Parts: sequence; C-alpha cells; structure tokens
Amino acid sequence: MRYQRVQKDFATFLLYVLGFFLLWEWLRPVEELTDTSNIIVFLVFLVLSLLLAFFGVSPVMSSIIKVIYILYELHYLYFEGSFFQFSWIASFASDIWHNFGLLAERDWPAITNLFRSLLFFILLWLMTYLIQYWLINRRQIFIFFFMTLIYITVLDTFTPYTADAAIVRTVIAGFAVMGILTFNRLLEQEGLKKEASLSRKWMIPLTALIALSTGLGFAAPKAEPIWPDPVPFIKSYGQNSGGDGPGIQKIGYGEDDSRLGGPFIGDNAVVFRAEVESRHYWKVETKDTYTGKGWVTSQPEGEYLPFGLGEEIPVTSFIDNDAIETTEEVSSVYTFMNYPHVVYPLGLKSIKASPFITYELETATEKIRTLDSGRPFALEDYKLGFAVPEYSVTAMKASGAQAESLPEEFLSRYTQLPEELPKRVRELAQEITQDKPDWFEKARELERYFRRAEYTYSQTDVAVPDENEDYVDQFLFDTKQGYCDNFSSSMVVMARSIGLPARWVKGYTEGEFKQSLGSGLRLFEITNNNAHSWVEIYFPEMGWVPFEPTQGFNNNVQFNFDTAGQNTSQPEAEEPKETETPVKPDKPEVTSSKESAFTLEKLWGNIESFFKEHWKVIGAAVAAAALLVIVIFQKRGKWLPHYFIWRFKRTRNDEHFSKAYLILLKELDRYGLKRKSGQTLRDYAKYVDSFFSTREMSRLTARYEELVYRGVLKEGSWNDTKELWENLIKRTIA
Amino acid sequence: MDRNQMHPAIERVLGNIEKVMIGKRDVAELSLVALLAEGHVLLEDVPGVGKTMMVRALAKSVGAAFKRIQFTPDLLPSDVTGVSIYNPKEMEFQFRPGPIMGNIILADEINRTSPKTQSALLEGMEESSVTIDGVTHRLERPFFVMATQNPIEYEGTYPLPEAQLDRFLLKMKMGYPDIADEMEVLNRAQRIPPIEDLETVMDLAELRSLQTEIKEVHVDQTIKRYIVEIAGGTRNHSSVYLGASPRGSIALMKAAQAYAFMYGRDYVLPDDIQYLAPAVFVHRIILRSEAKFEGITAEEVVGRVIARVSVPVQRLVK
Repeated sequence: MRYQRVQKDFATFLLYVLGFFLLWEWLRPVEELTDTSNIIVFLVFLVLSLLLAFFGVSPVMSSIIKVIYILYELHYLYFEGSFFQFSWIASFASDIWHNFGLLAERDWPAITNLFRSLLFFILLWLMTYLIQYWLINRRQIFIFFFMTLIYITVLDTFTPYTADAAIVRTVIAGFAVMGILTFNRLLEQEGLKKEASLSRKWMIPLTALIALSTGLGFAAPKAEPIWPDPVPFIKSYGQNSGGDGPGIQKIGYGEDDSRLGGPFIGDNAVVFRAEVESRHYWKVETKDTYTGKGWVTSQPEGEYLPFGLGEEIPVTSFIDNDAIETTEEVSSVYTFMNYPHVVYPLGLKSIKASPFITYELETATEKIRTLDSGRPFALEDYKLGFAVPEYSVTAMKASGAQAESLPEEFLSRYTQLPEELPKRVRELAQEITQDKPDWFEKARELERYFRRAEYTYSQTDVAVPDENEDYVDQFLFDTKQGYCDNFSSSMVVMARSIGLPARWVKGYTEGEFKQSLGSGLRLFEITNNNAHSWVEIYFPEMGWVPFEPTQGFNNNVQFNFDTAGQNTSQPEAEEPKETETPVKPDKPEVTSSKESAFTLEKLWGNIESFFKEHWKVIGAAVAAAALLVIVIFQKRGKWLPHYFIWRFKRTRNDEHFSKAYLILLKELDRYGLKRKSGQTLRDYAKYVDSFFSTREMSRLTARYEELVYRGVLKEGSWNDTKELWENLIKRTIA
Repeated sequence: MDRNQMHPAIERVLGNIEKVMIGKRDVAELSLVALLAEGHVLLEDVPGVGKTMMVRALAKSVGAAFKRIQFTPDLLPSDVTGVSIYNPKEMEFQFRPGPIMGNIILADEINRTSPKTQSALLEGMEESSVTIDGVTHRLERPFFVMATQNPIEYEGTYPLPEAQLDRFLLKMKMGYPDIADEMEVLNRAQRIPPIEDLETVMDLAELRSLQTEIKEVHVDQTIKRYIVEIAGGTRNHSSVYLGASPRGSIALMKAAQAYAFMYGRDYVLPDDIQYLAPAVFVHRIILRSEAKFEGITAEEVVGRVIARVSVPVQRLVK
C-alpha cells in the first residue's frame, strides 16, 4: 500500500473527523465496560494519527512522532520521574521482554497493564492506518461502518452498556462518510472537477437525507423485541447439567424439574457401571405434581424414612400377587460420581453395601439416600437384589374395575393436574382412549400415541413454554418434538386427565452394553446421556407399572399376553409404529366439501380465503422472488455472457452467426457502448474497437455486413469468427 | 473507408487527379462516382478554387474529349448544341456540332445564362441526345457534365429551376484548401501547370465497361428500404417544403453502387448511403421560408434525417 497524496480540502478533513467519530465509538464502551481508564490518552493518539495522515506527513516522520507519543504516554501512565531521565527505559524494556515470555507461554492474565496499553496503542495505530486506507484509497467505508454497528448492538445486548445515543451518532457519522465517499468516487469515475456548486448539489440533499432519516428514526414508534432478552438464554448454555430453569442444558440427572423444556447437549461423563443379568431401567426418584411447566412434589421434601440393612425397602412398586410372575435377579453398581443416593430397578428387594451405611427414603420422591453416620455419603459400589415382574395382561385388564378400592387421597395425589391445563389435552386423551374399555388398554393406547410420525425425538430443537403456555400442551399440539421429559410428562398428564393414577419417574436407561462377563452377567456403562424419564401408572392390586412413551426407547417390561387371548389389539406394540400416518383433523371437512356440489364460487371462496389467510407469506414470497429476479437481472452482466458463450461455442452452424452477432450488439449496449440508431455497424465497430483497443469488432462486422447487406454467408463464417466473437463478448463481462 | 480496398482502376484515376489537385480527394471521388454512375455534377462554389482544373484532370485521366462552355447572359442554345450552317459548295445545310458533343463537359457558371440556354444543356444531360433542326443527335458515351454555379445570392444570376436541379446526380462544394494545401498549390503554381503532363490512365472503353459493371453491384432489400426511409424522412421533415423525389432515391442508389464499386465491394453498405445522401439530396430539397429565416440549411436537414433513421442491422424477413 502506498500513501496517496491527500487532498487537503474541507471535505477530506470532514472525512477524517467522521472517521475519528466512528473509531471513538469503539473506544467508548471500553472505558465503561473494562477497567481501562485514561481513555483520553488513546483518543489523543487517534487524533494525532489522523492529523498526521491528513497533512500527509511522510510515513517515517509520522512513525517517529507516534512512537515518541506512545513512549511518553506509557511513561506518564506507568513510571515515576521525568521522561528525559531515561532511567525508566531499562525497566520498560525488561517489562516488555518479560511480557513476550508470557505471550509465548500463553499466560494471558499475567500480562502487565503496561504491555496491554502498548498493544492497545499498536492496535489503534493499525486502525488509523486502515481508516486512512478506506477513506482515501478505497473510498469505501461500509464494512467498517457495518462492523461498528454490529459491535455496538452486540455490546448493547449482552453488556450493561447502553448504546441508545451511540447508535444515533454512528448512523449519522457513518451515513455522512459514506455519502461523501460516494460523491468522491463518482467524481473520480466521471473525471469531473470538484466544484463548489457540484459539492453543494450533493451535500445539501445528503444532509437533508441524514437529518430526515435520523428524525424519522427518533420519531418512529419502537416495537418491543420479539425475543425475550436473549442473555439469560445464552448464559445458561455454559451452566452444568441440571441448571435451574429452562435454557440449553447439559444432559444428566438433575434435581429440579419445576421448569422443563429447552434443548440439551450431550454429555458422555460416566455415572456408573453395572453388572446385570437382564437389561432394565434404573430409577432414582419419582415426582407426583405437575405444575404446567414441570414437576414438583406434593409432599414436603426433606422428610426421610430411614431403613436399615436387611429391612424391607419401603419403595412402592408392583404388588406381589399371582398375576405377576417374578424372577429374582441381582445387579452390581460401580459408581463414578459422588451422588449420595442409589439407583435401583423396579421391584427392589435389597441393597448390599458396606455394613456401616444406613439408608433413608425421601418419602416425597422415593429417592433412596445413603448415609454414613448420619451424613450423606456416596457409595462406591453396591449390590441390588430385585424381582423382575412379568405382568399378566388379563389381570391388568381386570384391575381397572377395582378403581373404587383406591383410597381417595391416593387417587387425588396421582391424578393431580393444574387448573390451567388447556382443555384440548384432556380432549385429546379422551379421543385417543375412547374405544378402549379398560385401564390397561387405555394406558397402552396413550403410550402408543407418541409413536406417531408427527412426534419427533429431538434434543436440540425443543421449546421452552412461555409464561402463559403449558409444557405438555405446547409439546402435544404445537412443537411436537422433544425428548424423554416431553413424552413422559405428556403421557402422565394425559393418563391423569382420564383418571388413571400416574407418576413421573426419573432415572437412567439401561445404558450402553460394554462386555459380557460370563455366567450370564453383562457389563453396562451408564453415562449422563442415559439420564431418562418415564411413566408409571398404578393399577389396583397390581401396583405401579412402568410405561415408555418416548420414541426410540424400550423399557423391557414384560407383559404376558398368553392368557389375554386375542383381545389385545397390538401385542407387538413394543416396537414403534412409525409408518402410522396421523389423521389430520381437517381431513373430513375437505372431503365433505368435495362431496357437496363443487362450484366455482366455492373454489373462488377457498382461493380467496387461502390468500386472505396467507397473504403475508405470499406477499413476502412474491416480493422475495421479485427481488431475486431483479438482482439476477441487475447482475446479468456477470452471467449472461457466459451463458451465450456456452450456447454458441458448441455450434458450428453458420446460421447462428447472425444471432450471435446481434446478441453481441445487445451485450455491448448493456456494457455501456451504446449504438445510436443512425449509426452504421462499421462506424460502431470502429468505436468499439477504439474502446477496447482491438480490431476484432471491425473484422467481425465486415463478415456480418456481407451477410446482411449482400445476403451472402460464406461457409464456415461462424467457425472463422467464433473466436473474435468470444473475445468480444468476454469483454462485456462486467 | 479503407483506401487499401480501392478498385485498382479507380485508384489509378484518383491518384492521377491527385497529382494536380491537392487535398481534394473527396471531391475527386464524388466526381468519379457521378461519372461512373452516368450522372452529372453540380459544383457550387466561388471562382478560382480549381473547378476547371478538377474536370480537366478527370477528363485527361480517362482520355475523354474535354469541352468547356462558359455561360454568359448572351449565350444562345445553338452555341451549346451546335448549329446547321448552309454549305454553298455542297448546296446543303451542314451540322456543326457544338461543345455539348464531347465526353466531359465543364459548364461554367451555368446560372449566368438565360433559362433557354440552360435548358438546352439540361435536355442533353437528361436525354443523352440533342435535337437540332428536327434531327436528333445522340451524344457519345460517356457523357458527363460538370456544371458550376456561383452561389445564388450573387447578382446577375438565373437560378436553376428545381426540376432542372433534380437532373444533377450530385451537388458538391469545392471549398477552400487548408493552409498547408494552399501553400503547396502556390509551390506548384511557380512551375508550368502540370496538367499538361498528365497521362491518360484509363481509356474510354474501360470506363464504359466499368459503368456497365457498376449496375451489377448488389443493393439489398434492406438497403433499398433504408434509402427509401431516408428519402421519406426528408419529405416529412418539418422544415422541408419539398423533399427528395423518387428520382432522388434512384440517384442515391446509383451513386451508392458506384461508390461501393470504387471501394472494391459488390454490395452497398449503409455507410455508403450515409456518406452520399447529403450530396445527392441537398439540391433536391426546398426548405420552408421559416426554416430559411431560422438559418437551417438543407445539409442540416439531411444530416438530421440520417441520424434519425435507424440503420438496418438485420436482414429483412421476407
């Protein structure tokens, strides 16, 4: 880059001043947001640099001046004594040297303020150089202006810095700079002399325009942001699993489920490993109260029921009776995380760990805490004895009839629903289950409902319900995508809405199979990614039965259909039926309107209502298409010649000569070489040739003249002249 | 136009003329165009710019018989056409041909003589024959008249009627030479006029064959249409009282053929038409008096018409 001679007139000076203002906008927040003080020192440096540039001081000279200024200011800020004693130079040099060492070690926080200031000075130096380059050499500042706006708006959004005034200042200064630069560019392009009258003609409308636009901006009503403040949303990204409230969360086991929703990111941290005989889920706790946003407990937390080694574990699960065949199994758990609670399978019978450990059950959640001399203690390994149930479907079907036997308190606890729950959730649940006579079928039908294709499993695109939205309702009807929490909560709520006592269970899936250990034992690894939630529904005399509504998951709960006969509609329902097409509620209407007399009026009405409903979308699409077409048309200079070359290059047919020549004329015209209607081709060819300094157009034209005015086309004319034509049309590529 | 492509015979003649005429190649070219197209030329200019020299050089180059008629107010038609004189010895009238019986005739200051005498010449130009005492005498080919006239504003002139002006293929002006050319003229004037030494570079037979050849030059439909549009343009122009006649269109086409031939082409270009149209049309257009008062000239009108009529760039679809 070379320094262009700077014209020292008022307009150029104004450019520099405005450039300074734009740079200043970058410095203002620095003072406010960081612990940088003495910003005036840097401002003076900016002024100095720009002035030196404006007055065209030679680079060597201006560098010397700038270096002296930087040294002086650094001395003023960081050293005692007189500047001219030079004793400070040594410590300055050693400081710099030390900092270079820190740079090499990438020990950023240790870098001294002195060195930071020096680097900042150098940055500003570069910036003034860039400004000078943009303003004088390139005569384009848009990128910088745009970056400034982005910088200010980002700061305004994410920091305490309020940019209300900064935006206005930047817009005014930026528009003024761009206006003046455009004027200068035009003058250069057209080779005009800068005259006062000409400047006035440009500058007065420019000023008026800026004043008008800022005035309008001020006066116009300002809409509230459509997004809620994005800061908390993005901030939560960095938080650990189980963060409070919605937001992007790390997957894993969390305590607080009062606000569900929001995307998850995976986490491969291992929670525990388990040696199991058969695959099963691991429960941690259950929740019983749905708030519309998430899950809490109805009973006070912190109430514990202690039980000791060998005592019966007071966890509620299935009830031992004839209808449930059980198999005894043992699993061993080796923990990797310090959670002071155990994970346990359905039908837990015994926990074997170090003998000094005592256990207590949190009554509200059925979470089993492990204690060592009264204090929460995380076990390293433990053995769990449990019974694997196999439910008899016949008994299950029958058990719903004994619903009256359930205590009132129990029923109301597990069929609790918030009053604000939208009606349509209940209606949907009833619609799904209306054909099913018994509880079991109803529950299965609800479970199956989520296997429909319209629901998708997603960890990333998951909504957070708004203040007046319901978590379940939003998932069921609006978003229809989510992860286990969405599916399980929805199923619990729907089950409750038709009177089935249900609760929400949290824990882990069986995890990832690692290896076979022999003698029927298999090793599974359970990571945070395997954190899961599912549903348990209470059947009288049977107890809690788990259900798995989440797509792609399988709870391995055994139902014995042998005795149930053919009554069960879908014994293989364990597999998700994704091919099932959802029935759209509006379908019957459409068919009925088709059946009734099909008239033009109706059609017109339909079309009209369609446009009325979607006019915004249609309008936007049409506008976008029009814009696209306009842009493509405007930029045709870039692609049209290529197309013509492609089209005509392949042909050897002389008939195309005339067509190609006429296209060339058109392209030249578009390029800006206008042919007056009274101008002969030969004359025009000379003009074109003198413009491109070739003889190609004249040679091509001579051939063409013979064709048009003699009516003779020599064989191979097109082949001979193709190259001329191609060269010429290539020149028209803008 | 490119001189390299010139027809060799034409280039010979033009080169020959250039030996005596300095800086007047365009006038020489146009004169030759008229000669080849079997038309006549009206030169309008002040005396002493080399009109005579021009014609004599042309005549000498093609080896044609050169005759000169100085028109005066008292000149009689018989002085132009010739007269029958009684020969007492033969006891009969004998025809003595006048100066019109030549190949190349310079009719000097044609607007100084009476219309009667003018018409005698013009009849010969149009019909290629003269009738004297009931006997029609055919004029020899080639027959080429170059008439000169003083600008009409001068006193003591009989302006040529429009119908007669129409008979000239081209009207042109010599104009004064520029400084360098005129100095060269002075240089040459110190010596014997070199016109005497001028050689004949083409014989009449060749000239006649060229004249026949020129008729074969292709004028495409697109070009014909272009000619007609320009002629029509002169008729519709707001400053024009009387535009170019169809005879004017024919003249333009013929001149264009000759011009194209000169440049070694066997087809006419719009460029030829544009170049020749002012020379062919200017004397055929009568401007409205208002336009004359406004200072608009016929040259300007023709120039504007040419600029306005769009040049054909595609073949006409038949």
